[in-house]
Amino acid sequence: MDIFALLMWPIKWVIEAILVGFHTVITALGGAEGSGLTWVLSIVGLVLVIRSAMIPLTVRQIVSSRKSLEIQPEIQRIQKKYKGKKDQFSREAMQRETMEAYRKAGTNPFASCLPLLIQMPIFLGLVQVLTDANNRKAGVGLLTEELATLFSQSTLFGVVPLHQTMQGGFASGDVWVIITAIVLTAIMCATQFYTQLQIMTKNQTPAMKESPMYKQQRILLYIIPVFLLVSAWLFPLGTMFYWLVSNIYTLVQQLIIINKMPTPGSDAALAREARMARKRQRMGLPPVEGDEAAAETEVEIKTQRQQPKGKGTKSKREGRA
Amino acid sequence: MSLALLPRNICVAFLVAYRAVISPLYGDVCRYYPSCSSYALQAIQQHGVIRGIWMGSRRILRCHPWAPGGVDDIPEPRRRLHTTRAGFVLAHEEH
Repeated sequence: MDIFALLMWPIKWVIEAILVGFHTVITALGGAEGSGLTWVLSIVGLVLVIRSAMIPLTVRQIVSSRKSLEIQPEIQRIQKKYKGKKDQFSREAMQRETMEAYRKAGTNPFASCLPLLIQMPIFLGLVQVLTDANNRKAGVGLLTEELATLFSQSTLFGVVPLHQTMQGGFASGDVWVIITAIVLTAIMCATQFYTQLQIMTKNQTPAMKESPMYKQQRILLYIIPVFLLVSAWLFPLGTMFYWLVSNIYTLVQQLIIINKMPTPGSDAALAREARMARKRQRMGLPPVEGDEAAAETEVEIKTQRQQPKGKGTKSKREGRA
Repeated sequence: MSLALLPRNICVAFLVAYRAVISPLYGDVCRYYPSCSSYALQAIQQHGVIRGIWMGSRRILRCHPWAPGGVDDIPEPRRRLHTTRAGFVLAHEEH
């Protein structure tokens, strides 16, 4: 347990520093010190800082997934080799070969695990920071007892205390807390569901859709809202705001990715190619594939001597015009 | 099941639950084969809790966007233990 607290200490320190920083700035800009809105905006700021810090990771992943387009023929060859073989050993061998092919090509379309797992301790750290603040306990760093007391007393629009949970709302019969919690949970479920649905239906290749993982994902799509409801029941509203803003951030980011840099071979990628082709057509440019073909034929022609064209006599030309 | 294997089987239970419930939310993200959670699971099955968690943690640290990825199996144990379909280690017997 002590080791755990030690590991969480730096994470909590940074979270507190960012929260207090935003709180100071917003107060300086005219926000009321004890207002719930000021604290909610500070939490929004926290999400923006944390998620923006992770943009380089996302971009790096997208760049390398674009690069993996180049070895798509090799991947398709492997997929063809194992087509229709659904037993565990064939699937394993296929995955091994695929991963090895990516490594050899020096590219990898997968996001990697670290960025995802890093978000878990951050969320946990925030829950701990806010829980301590609710109990008017000073944090590990910049969140003083004074600020903690301010947070625990703050209410949103003067009626919804941020430290309250949905459970607490029902226990005390506080209608505003219940309504806020339900609205937050509904938006959270909707954004999560939509993001997941977008990824699954648009940004996965047919090969991914064949994997057993995909079926599990489909089932979970409908179980996630239940999970969210349970967590919403237990976590303070302040924490739910973090989750909500984070979900919206993910949703927007995902939409941009699906539109601009889809997974090669997925429906979204095909849709993007079609979009690009239409755009080229509108601009009066030849299609991309045609371009290459034209270049090839040009090379072939150059091997032959250019035949001089007969101009005909001057009178003939003029007569035609 | 021998008592000495209880700690690793508790960890196995956690990882199996994680792989069934939380892991699919992310879809395929791992840059390696086997995936990080599968690697950690195998490492704990074959090498025990302490060495297994150590190996698994190091693997997760290796799985960042700048890593080349590829096939990365657990270090071969001195003797491979037999596991059940669910992933539990029942006895100190070899494959």
